[in-house]
Amino acid sequence: MTDPRLELTRIPLIKKILASRWLQWSLVAVTLPFFVLAIFTGLFGTPAGSRNFGIVFVWIVWWGLLMLVLVPFAGRFWCAVCPIPAPGEWLQRRSLVATRENGKLFTLGWKWPRRLNNIWLQSAAFLIVALFAKVILTTPFVSAVTLLILAGIAMATSLLFERRTFCRYICPVGGFIGLYSQVAPVEVRVKDHALCATHHDKTCYSGNEKGYGCPWLVFPATLDTNTYCGLCTECLKTCSLDNVALYARPFGKDLLTTQGRRLDEAYRSLMMLACAPLYTIIFLGPWAEIKEAAYAIGSTGWWLYAFGLLALTLAVVPGIFCVCSALSKFIARAKTSTRKFFVGYATALLPLGLAAWASFSLSFVLVNLSYAWQVLSDPFGWGWNLFGTANWKWTPYLSGWQGYLQIPILLIGLVAAIAVAFRIAREQRVSPRTALPIVLFCVAFTVVIVGLNF
Amino acid sequence: MKKELFALTIVLLIFVAFPASLFAYQAWRTNTSFGFAQDDVRVIALTANVPNNGGWSPDTIRVNLGERVRLRISSPDVVHGFEIPALGIQVAEILPGHVAEVEFAVSRVGKFPFACTRWCSVDHWRMRGSIKVIDPNNPNPLPQSFAPPLYQQLKIDIDALHPATNVPTQRPSATRGTLLSPVIADDLRVNSPSDVFAKLRTNDALKTNSDSQLWDAIAFAWKQSAGDDAIARGQKLFARDCAACHGESGKGDGPAGRNLPGLAAMQSDNHQMLEIKRGPADFTDAPKMLGASDVLLQGKIIRGGMGTGMPEWRTLYTDQNMWDVISYLRSFVFEYK
Repeated sequence: MTDPRLELTRIPLIKKILASRWLQWSLVAVTLPFFVLAIFTGLFGTPAGSRNFGIVFVWIVWWGLLMLVLVPFAGRFWCAVCPIPAPGEWLQRRSLVATRENGKLFTLGWKWPRRLNNIWLQSAAFLIVALFAKVILTTPFVSAVTLLILAGIAMATSLLFERRTFCRYICPVGGFIGLYSQVAPVEVRVKDHALCATHHDKTCYSGNEKGYGCPWLVFPATLDTNTYCGLCTECLKTCSLDNVALYARPFGKDLLTTQGRRLDEAYRSLMMLACAPLYTIIFLGPWAEIKEAAYAIGSTGWWLYAFGLLALTLAVVPGIFCVCSALSKFIARAKTSTRKFFVGYATALLPLGLAAWASFSLSFVLVNLSYAWQVLSDPFGWGWNLFGTANWKWTPYLSGWQGYLQIPILLIGLVAAIAVAFRIAREQRVSPRTALPIVLFCVAFTVVIVGLNF
Repeated sequence: MKKELFALTIVLLIFVAFPASLFAYQAWRTNTSFGFAQDDVRVIALTANVPNNGGWSPDTIRVNLGERVRLRISSPDVVHGFEIPALGIQVAEILPGHVAEVEFAVSRVGKFPFACTRWCSVDHWRMRGSIKVIDPNNPNPLPQSFAPPLYQQLKIDIDALHPATNVPTQRPSATRGTLLSPVIADDLRVNSPSDVFAKLRTNDALKTNSDSQLWDAIAFAWKQSAGDDAIARGQKLFARDCAACHGESGKGDGPAGRNLPGLAAMQSDNHQMLEIKRGPADFTDAPKMLGASDVLLQGKIIRGGMGTGMPEWRTLYTDQNMWDVISYLRSFVFEYK
């Protein structure tokens, strides 16, 4: 069977760019000023979120870019250019661009506890952010403090633990970016696994004069999904056998296998799925009482909202999916555990979840994007008009077309989810009809999302 | 090493020079840069918060006589408005996250109240401040003396009940009143409509006219005395400052008045406690409105409701403003169209 992938590193220019030690620094040097501006505007700018760069550029522009462009088309590219862990990493390396001669990092180098060697902590961090999302996403000061806390944790983690432990195990955003990056049509992979087996130095993991060992604590030879590859391209630089390449590939290639799937990842994909309609409700829907409850932290309404969010994400949606998985197992009359069905079939939820989030993000971004022109000219809300756009009126874009754009996205996600579910059934050597409860679950979820949006 | 130094320089520029340049630009823009003024204008930042979050900040502004001042007014929460009525300075709209500027110089010494002109919250009326204009050559002038308001000069007890002794059976119409238009010599500000009716009723020349005809004539007299312009001005002020509590139709049913205490009880002349309707006054209540003279109504506007939630307007309204509003209030019992 021919390889459907296209090795992009065969193009000399791309290879040269990826091999350059300036690459990651240059990209972070572009995102860092935006991050710094977001912090300063959040701390010192107007408390009116819609007129504050920190809110508009982080939670509308960045979020829209992330969910509509970067994750679906470039996987974890954002992780490679994210400014939050950059200062910690620079400090750890005591270098911004070059490699250290002895390769020793400025860190206590603690190992991350084995029990936390999963994404449960990231999921918990995401839920904490979700509980306070209405305030974090609308209140500039709180948003800036949240970003500073994340940067502080990233810095402390870099000094205490090895490599990019923060990105791999703590970052609240990293978990879902990793899961959904499996859909993306790019990957960094070794070209020939046999060659890796004969390579004694394993410079891709240990580093050499050309680069650092994988900051994401991944041994590239074992990499078979995008989940934990930060696209930092260090392994492309350090592989002395030139055995690592960047590939363009068909969308969702990682979803075709359930090998190595874990319960923490399955649960996370369900949590993300449950959060998509919740975010639609508290940010877009007409339900003023729920929105107010989500904002009024500490009030009875907020406690009810928090209970509802936790119940839905941790119990109700995973519970329904567990019942569907048990039904699948029952139809298959399989002797394998329900857990195996649960974990395996959760892979099918990734394209659906990504589509739901893209659909939400599209609506959110189209409604609010016009604020971006205002804050570009007046980032602090101090009455500036740098580019003459400060007084442009708020205008929701394509307001009559949002439905026509959202429905195809959701349908693509649903069709992909159904296709993956049947594929998983085949992989598990059971009748395709055993996937029907999962298909029904996906259809029902899509109906809910459509119902909330229209 | 050179490459590292270059990269480090860029990062330091991003972390230090970039934010520093933003603040420097702001300082330069607001004329506060390094203590040097760009021109002869003093820039004062004024923040408009809803009253529960502190109201105006600062709420007292001191300026020198003749000093040119530029107020940069911003709102962190909701839409506000700004007005210094005595100086005729107004900013119609202060949008959240925007900065509205107004520049002026004051040529007379005094304390000039300013207020929010948009219904920003239930406590909107508390959102007031003042500009104190001082003459540097005479920083402590003798306090100015003012004549007491009319209701005090006439010794009208504005807390007492003044119910109308006569009430029309139908709403008096100024249009119908033009047909009769008797000469009414009474001062329509001092006398209540009910007083005027009583006098007309005893007039032998008007014996043949019905009560309704006399009331129509009174409605016409009040309308003519006020003038259409005053009524129109009063309508605007009422919509801006009164309707939120007293209701658009004057029935005392405005959304902001629902939780106001109003008057629960009041002591009458014979020391008995009378039960009074709670909440903002109902201007369609004919016995009450027809028994109240314009001066009495002005007294209530000047002083406010003393614990009822009704603010005082003496500091913000001119006499003309108050007469205009009262002219419009009469339209709730008199048919003016």
